[in-house]
Amino acid sequence: MQREKMMKKKMPYLLLGLAVLFPATAAAAPTGQALAFTCAGCHGTDGSSVGPSSPSIAGMDPEVFIDAMQGYKFDERNSTIMNRIAKGYNDEQIKSMAWFFAKQTLRLKPQKYDAEMAKLGAKLHDEYCEKCHEDGGKPGDAGTLAGQWMPYLHYTMEDFIDGRREYPRKMRRKVDAAIEAEGDRAMPALIHYYGSQH
Amino acid sequence: MTEINRRDFIRFATVAGASLGFPQLALAANPKVVVVGGGVGGCTAAKYLRKLHPQTEVTLIETKKVYQSCFMSNEVLSGDRTLDSITFDYEGLKRHGVKVVIDRVDAIEPDKKQVVTQGGETFAYDACIVSPGVDFKWDAIEGYDEKVAEVVPHAWFAGPQTTTLRNQILAMPEGGKVIIVAPPNPYKCPPGPYERAAQIAMYCKHHKPKAKILILDPKDKFSKQGLFTQGWSKLYGFGTENSMIEWVGAAGGGTVEELDPSTMTLQAEIEEFQGDVINIIPPQKAGKVAFASDLAEGDWCPVNKLTFESSKHKDVYVLGDASSAAKMPKSAYAANSQAKVAAAAIVSRFNGIEPPDPTFVNTCYSILGEEHGISVAAVYTLDKSSNTILPIKGAGGLSPMNASDQQRKREVSYAHSWFANLIDDMMM
Amino acid sequence: MPKTVSRLATWLIPFFLILVVHSVHGATEPGISILGEEPPEGFDPLTGERIISNERCLTCHGDEQMKTDVRDDGSEVKIFVHSKQIRESVHGELNCNSCHITIDRVPHRKAPAVIVGCLDCHRETWEEVKDDPDGKHERLKVVNESIDSYMQSIHAQPNSLDQSRTNATCYDCHEAHNVGELGSIQRAEKRLKNPEACGKCHEQQLEDYRTSVHGVAVLEQKDSESAVCSDCHTTHEIDSPETDKAKLAITKNCGDCHEEAQRTYFDSYHGQVHRLGYTNTAKCHDCHGSHKVKGEDDPTSEIHANNRLENCRVCHEDANENFLTFWPHGDADDRENYPGLWFFKLFMQTLIFSVMAFFWVHVLLWLYREVMDRLQGKGFIEDLDKPDIVYFRRFPVVWRWIHGLFAISTMTLILTGTTLLFAHTGWAKAVVVFLGGTEMEGIIHRTAAVIWLGIFFVHLMIAVTNIIREGKDFKWFGSTSMLPNWKDWSDLKGMFRWFIGKGERPQFSHWTYWQKFDYWAPFWGAGVIGISGIMLFAPEKTALILPGWMFNIATLVHAEEALLAAIFLNSVHFFNVHFRPERFPMSTTIFTGAIPFEEFRHDHREEYERLAATGEINNYLVRKPSRRADLAASFITTVLIMAGLALLTLVLIGLVTSPN
Repeated sequence: MQREKMMKKKMPYLLLGLAVLFPATAAAAPTGQALAFTCAGCHGTDGSSVGPSSPSIAGMDPEVFIDAMQGYKFDERNSTIMNRIAKGYNDEQIKSMAWFFAKQTLRLKPQKYDAEMAKLGAKLHDEYCEKCHEDGGKPGDAGTLAGQWMPYLHYTMEDFIDGRREYPRKMRRKVDAAIEAEGDRAMPALIHYYGSQH
Repeated sequence: MTEINRRDFIRFATVAGASLGFPQLALAANPKVVVVGGGVGGCTAAKYLRKLHPQTEVTLIETKKVYQSCFMSNEVLSGDRTLDSITFDYEGLKRHGVKVVIDRVDAIEPDKKQVVTQGGETFAYDACIVSPGVDFKWDAIEGYDEKVAEVVPHAWFAGPQTTTLRNQILAMPEGGKVIIVAPPNPYKCPPGPYERAAQIAMYCKHHKPKAKILILDPKDKFSKQGLFTQGWSKLYGFGTENSMIEWVGAAGGGTVEELDPSTMTLQAEIEEFQGDVINIIPPQKAGKVAFASDLAEGDWCPVNKLTFESSKHKDVYVLGDASSAAKMPKSAYAANSQAKVAAAAIVSRFNGIEPPDPTFVNTCYSILGEEHGISVAAVYTLDKSSNTILPIKGAGGLSPMNASDQQRKREVSYAHSWFANLIDDMMM
Repeated sequence: MPKTVSRLATWLIPFFLILVVHSVHGATEPGISILGEEPPEGFDPLTGERIISNERCLTCHGDEQMKTDVRDDGSEVKIFVHSKQIRESVHGELNCNSCHITIDRVPHRKAPAVIVGCLDCHRETWEEVKDDPDGKHERLKVVNESIDSYMQSIHAQPNSLDQSRTNATCYDCHEAHNVGELGSIQRAEKRLKNPEACGKCHEQQLEDYRTSVHGVAVLEQKDSESAVCSDCHTTHEIDSPETDKAKLAITKNCGDCHEEAQRTYFDSYHGQVHRLGYTNTAKCHDCHGSHKVKGEDDPTSEIHANNRLENCRVCHEDANENFLTFWPHGDADDRENYPGLWFFKLFMQTLIFSVMAFFWVHVLLWLYREVMDRLQGKGFIEDLDKPDIVYFRRFPVVWRWIHGLFAISTMTLILTGTTLLFAHTGWAKAVVVFLGGTEMEGIIHRTAAVIWLGIFFVHLMIAVTNIIREGKDFKWFGSTSMLPNWKDWSDLKGMFRWFIGKGERPQFSHWTYWQKFDYWAPFWGAGVIGISGIMLFAPEKTALILPGWMFNIATLVHAEEALLAAIFLNSVHFFNVHFRPERFPMSTTIFTGAIPFEEFRHDHREEYERLAATGEINNYLVRKPSRRADLAASFITTVLIMAGLALLTLVLIGLVTSPN
């Protein structure tokens, strides 16, 4: 009883203390989870998209997520709708969403792919991509390629190659080398390879 | 005393909880939630309640055995999609542990905290979610009622009427005329009538190139107007003499007053219009159950937008099109977003904590042609002082007017993704 | 008042509670959370920072097939890292980005600035662990001391071409991924790699070093015992070799291996100046070459017989062939190789020991006798109540001046000369600094030497003139002659008898035997010191006629003789004239020129009787010197005695602390 009274007396002070400690969260801001839930309409429940083209973001590397959102937010990355949506979030909210999605299990759906092309893609991947996109492009610090929706991969590579999106460091060299090696088949082959994984 | 029933106990516990400072259900073990309405709002809420608080017993009551989505139903009209492709059963929800009851609810009983179905079943609830969608104001256009609607379809709920309208368009003579009567604000799916015009035009362009589509509109402006007129112009010659699509707004006498179904003639404010196919989308209000349960005020149901709890009855939550959720539009994505806020608020209540601040998103795609999609998006936050949901400044907005063909094409693909994921998120 | 207090408390309590909350916070260390989200796997739950596994880094940096990469500007860059090495190094348990602090994700999106936080990490870690009782981290203390040294070094200075970076930083020298523990193989290997590490920047120096005996031993024969760069240049206190500090350090460091060579070098004039902290004389590398140091048999060596003269001429422009016979490392203790030097040292030291032994015995016995006499109320006791009014004129003005100048210049020579001899002492260094450096000191020493010799020759001229003027009347062995005679011999024996109480005190003539010794000693001294001094004064000229090893001998005897003089004058001479109880505390006669009559009569009884008998004595009687003259003489005498005693003290300090 004594203890409870004490707690009641202390409570306002503790709350005030917490408010002083964490001014950003003082206004009971939406949780990262609540923010992330709003993405599901396009990216699937908890970020596992059922396609056909909006990418899965479950299990996505949080820093890749942040890069993407910041890129959209400041119109540094080509998009259709994401640049409009990303502007609605501050850095903290973006980071909390990033952490939320990073913790979700990526559920993949099978996609139609050309087995011949996928085989060629696997070879190209090993030679030009694997060092950054480890484990065949599984979710990692260089993003998610394996099992990603093929149209989205296609758009992305289109944007890179046509100069609408800035290559990450050293990627251009690798892409150029892959195209040098296999010509116009190179990018589709890689996309079929990633699409073949689920 | 040993016969103390569950509801009494809950009531006691609630009082006890309230006395401790929080509106709390001390009996948080297996709280019961009844969801009335199996559309986007109801389904999403049911699924996310189970997801956020698995011990919740969720019962969803819906009149129809399957769900047919209004969104993307315009694609059925153009023939790009079958009705089957927008028809879904409730097995997905059942897999999430939601009890699905196919029955009709006339009204809920907030004072008794129970729902009684026409089938005679009674469902007690700790929280009730009402998501009935919209109903039509049948008296707005003389000569148009529910019976006439079977031949002059509204097709505003996906289902048999969608097929009817599709068949009428197919049957229409070569140089026939389709009239779409758009509703006044507010109504569900604000760009819907205009996307419908484009989808019908898309069909006609290939099969009945001389056909015309006339939109009679009681409004002077409409959703995504600039993008629609741009797309119509590009694809269907809008603004030229040979335009396939014509739009008559309120100022031009677009307000329809009367229908003569026998002559297929519409009496508008200034002149009469005769069409081969007429699609009347009547003015709208909240679904019947909202009125029967005393949840509405005017046409819509007021709610506390922090939780979507009804302003009129405690522990009752109204979601989606039926709620008055300004400034969010009445769209599927909005209902989905609201449902998650409500689910989180209800779970917070069960856990005896304050509800988190809500956050909302709306995205809405319209497909004007095979390779021409447009969208609108907004991120919302709640202004608690005015109980208004406000779009965050600087964010959201329309697809750019100067978007490339490639962008427009990608938006079609993303629209399909939006559809698939929205369905997945609400009920799969 | 209470109201204010309570209001204040209302404000302060929450803040106090914040502190409490903080400390509770600290105790339980809850993880970070942003809007209810905790960091995902692979991120530090406390900080939210990404944890980058070393394996991830090694996917690119450990690929044996691709040891290089291309920078954005097209240039090639080495990226390969030996993972095995790292694991075995002292930093083996760290994460790559514990040091590469700018890498917060992989693949790193931008070309990473190579920022490695060595200093802060070592400092902070030491702060954390320095109180650990297990002493496991003692080595970290050394590391931190090295850091402090480094921060003062030329390497830590901003680069003059690019001020945004230092001349060199930790990982330029320490093979970043291969820092071995003490005693580890890595460290031995690191010694062998040291020249290559330095050579990354100091390319020419490395090329030179390769040709040297050190370079051949280290780089070709893998002999980690031979000298690597850091052995000479130090590891962390590195300064530009142009600075005195670096030159001194390098020369000192040669001696870490070449002990004998350094000892003999330090004994030479070159080394003495060096030891005083000056670098204007030859140092090891001036003669042996720095990076190209080779043995004397190598024809490309700077000390090879064919190259040696040229080598000398770098400093001694007019050096001739005779310079080649100089023994730069001549060792007077090495009878086998330097018998001449050895002999001279033996001779000089025998001389010093015998002279000093004899006279100190003489002094002690004399002291004993006078004290004993006084205790018995005997002997000559000045009656202070009845001071002498009449004085005996003993020295004419010219001799008084000559003695004064002689004393001052001698003391100057002792002071400036012994700083070299005792260069190891602190006082010597302080004196040199006070005088303005070794070059200034050299000038002073030479000036004093010229004055000293000048006086010596002036005195000779006067003495000879006097003898010539007296012509046949000059009695070579007369009472006023300085030439020793048999009476001196019997006086000496008499004194010893008196000392031991076996006889009366001898009655002396005008000059006592010890005064004659004091007089003649400088002749010897002037010969030895003067001649050797002149030789050293102008080495190039000397070498025109004398072989180079004469410098070794000249240096030796000059020093030894000077020591003898310094000790003798400031102890024995002072006792004989000033300190013996009859005279204590001093005699001012040499400056006033007059001796109290009674004292004269006591000390030079025979002369007094001779003069009294002939009546000549009246010619010498003068009035007591004026009070002013007396004071002035007392003052000068006091100063000179104090100076002399100070010099004696310094010399004794030097002798006692001498490393040899």
